Amino acid sequence: MNSVNTNIMEINIGPQHPSTHGVLRLKVTLEGEKILNIEPVIGYLHRGMEKMAENRNYIQYLPVVDRIDYLSGFFCSYAYVNAVELLMNIEIPIKAKYIRTLTMEMNRIMSHLLWLGCYLLDLGATSPLFYAFIEREKLMDILEDLTGARMMYNYYTFGGVKKDIPVDILKRIYDFAKHFPSSVKEYEDLISDNPIFTSRTMKTGILAKETAEQFSITGANLRASGAAKDLRKDSPYLIYNLLDFNIPVKQTGDSYCRYITRINEMKESNKIILQCLDRLLTDENDNEINLKLNPLSIKPEGEVISEVESSRGLMQCIISADGSSNPLRIKWRTPSFYAAQLLNTIAKNHLLPDLMAVFGSLDIIMPEVDR
Amino acid sequence: MGLFYVIYLDFMRQINIPDWLIIILWHIINFCFAAVLLIFIVLFLVLFERKYLAFFTRRKGPNRVGLNGCLQTAADGLKILFKENILPSGADKFLYFCAPLLVFSPIMAVYCLIPFAEDLTAYNSCCGVLLFMAILSLPPLGVLFAGYSSGNKYSLIGGIRSCVQSISSEIPVFIVLAGIVLLTGSMNLNEITKAQSGIFLNWNIFPSILGFIIFLICSLIIMNRIPFDFPEAESELTAGYNSEYSGMKFAMFFLGEYALTFIFSAFIAVLFLGGYNPPFGVYAADLLNLPLISGAIVKNIEQFFWLMIKTYILILIIMWFRAAYPRLRQSDAIEFCWYILIPLSVFNLFILCIIQFIRGCL
Amino acid sequence: MIMSFLNPLKALLKGLAVVLKNALKPDVTLEYPEKKKPLNENFRGRIKYIKENCIKCGLCKKVCPVKTAIMIGDDFVIDYTKCIFCGSCTEFCPKNALIRTKEYELASKDKNNLIMKENINYGNN
Repeated sequence: MNSVNTNIMEINIGPQHPSTHGVLRLKVTLEGEKILNIEPVIGYLHRGMEKMAENRNYIQYLPVVDRIDYLSGFFCSYAYVNAVELLMNIEIPIKAKYIRTLTMEMNRIMSHLLWLGCYLLDLGATSPLFYAFIEREKLMDILEDLTGARMMYNYYTFGGVKKDIPVDILKRIYDFAKHFPSSVKEYEDLISDNPIFTSRTMKTGILAKETAEQFSITGANLRASGAAKDLRKDSPYLIYNLLDFNIPVKQTGDSYCRYITRINEMKESNKIILQCLDRLLTDENDNEINLKLNPLSIKPEGEVISEVESSRGLMQCIISADGSSNPLRIKWRTPSFYAAQLLNTIAKNHLLPDLMAVFGSLDIIMPEVDR
Repeated sequence: MGLFYVIYLDFMRQINIPDWLIIILWHIINFCFAAVLLIFIVLFLVLFERKYLAFFTRRKGPNRVGLNGCLQTAADGLKILFKENILPSGADKFLYFCAPLLVFSPIMAVYCLIPFAEDLTAYNSCCGVLLFMAILSLPPLGVLFAGYSSGNKYSLIGGIRSCVQSISSEIPVFIVLAGIVLLTGSMNLNEITKAQSGIFLNWNIFPSILGFIIFLICSLIIMNRIPFDFPEAESELTAGYNSEYSGMKFAMFFLGEYALTFIFSAFIAVLFLGGYNPPFGVYAADLLNLPLISGAIVKNIEQFFWLMIKTYILILIIMWFRAAYPRLRQSDAIEFCWYILIPLSVFNLFILCIIQFIRGCL
Repeated sequence: MIMSFLNPLKALLKGLAVVLKNALKPDVTLEYPEKKKPLNENFRGRIKYIKENCIKCGLCKKVCPVKTAIMIGDDFVIDYTKCIFCGSCTEFCPKNALIRTKEYELASKDKNNLIMKENINYGNN
């Protein structure tokens, strides 16, 4: 009669749940509030991004790429565009490199700001969300005026970027970058030392360096665990070798370290933005922003891997081309997909409230996991 | 009962209404007064909180319905009346219907105990403090019923959390209350208020500042407000114990929560901030030398005004916390109650004993 | 020992101060239907088709990532229910027959309002 186990409870968190950041479903086994097992179930946002490439030509696929990671579309765009450029063996103009670096770092700040707001919302604080969005909105407005859309930029093209940055937009970015450190200071004042925040994030979800490497974790999650690995330093692409910036690293690998790492990354990105602006504002004679290729005539051949350090980690675009107008196969390596697998390892034996604190700190975004 | 009861009795006797009916009618009038007050306060408070949080986060808040959004909550309330009542298939019907009542009616009942003014106390109980806390131990039970009966796992966790936290938060509250009773020598809320009359230095907050802080923290737990809103932590439990409720039943939980915020703030104001006493011990009614009856009425209104001011200052502070802080982990909060608040409240009681002893010697 | 109590308290008070400081700053709300954000000419809104310029080269259809958003037959059809507003067609149109507008309020109760159809078959008359 009494065969039902009353101690163990299985609970479905998601796919529609306020704090799963999209449509991740977690099958959680609870004993009381203690988590015994977490099984992430993905695929609710699958759009067939990789298959789509096979029946579209290179330029047709370009606008779609932004949607792989809609919070930081420039990174996906760059990975894809760069892959095609590598296949064609072309070098883009130096100004285009600066513009790409500038926009990508702006995008990194935007992505981290959204993460910051949503993470604090997961922990129950409402105000940081709005403060983060106020700053993010400024960047979005700038990028909207530059590219024509707020999130799906479609701004990069094969051989450069589509439009030159007008000086007034550069000035707006400059205003933002000058003001931004004070905003970050405000977030830190509000959040970093708050005992409620520290008690929830410190010593939870500890990700050891070895585990992180076993799970191929990249990005801020890895750097918070003590490994100073950043593609921008390790194998600099674009103009990162000319820039002066640091890689924030923390040792412990708990949620708090991931938070601090991301906050510091925003500061470093801001430094990069200012350096790019220096070059773009001073050198006004250089107007070559793209190679003016005919995108419909692109018919490369070969196989290539293009890498980029996106806001969430190492993003790779692997193209295999056979000389026709469509790619033969495209494979995306997206960092969140690896981070999503971590949950069962690092959030096990925590309490249910900690699950959200740990999950939020990993900065997982679903469109990137499912593609 | 006081002045208003005398006036009422006088009026009713003049129009020849039998005595038993007079007494019943008096209670009905009191009830209606509390109910109407509650509805208006809650509608106002919901709007107020939304506007206030918007103010902190650089937004405008609701500003479409009515003048600058003043009818927003009324419209929301109207909308919620027309919502369908849904009974989940796995629900325990009887408890599912009982739970909102069990949450809402005790909160409404404690409105009778608060002395809003000298003659404006619906039920002037001799042990009001005790009764207040005793009645308020019922809503967590309602929340537990709601969580259990909904047949939803999120609700169940929310309900259990509510029970757990009410146990751990009420102990420090009672120890602090013992200190207050010690200071004022009475359990009657009216007497406690009167003991604090005079200028603001006579208020209980000054000998018992530690007690005030403990009480404020525990009241946040009892009110389920951020940073202690575990039973309905939306990022963990979607909506916690009221996930499965809709329509009027949901409204009861929702109204109950705001009504509790208000009445508990008023309770703290009575215990620590001198209740209806004006901060400088002077009534405008006394200064104006008004005739007896109208003077007494003006004085009552003035007292009501002062209590409201104090209550709203407390509510402002409580909502300010909501704007600034994230939510604690429940296990931490309970640990905080047991390991820090209870020893501190005992320490507070000890200090108050010494103060009272010194006062007795002087 | 005392500092371990005081530091969190200080941080809590600092948090309260930060929200209060923000409260004194001006609102950032844009009251949308009444006030609208100014858009510049880059904005990718509803695509306008200018029949006179069109030479039926079909380039727009070739670059469209959504294969069915633009259809060219007897009618030139732009289906806004499928369009992702990437702006490729306007960019590649050699004769400026497709231009970007700043119109973005496309919500409609009738699906036909979202399908632009223009007869481009001049041959028979």
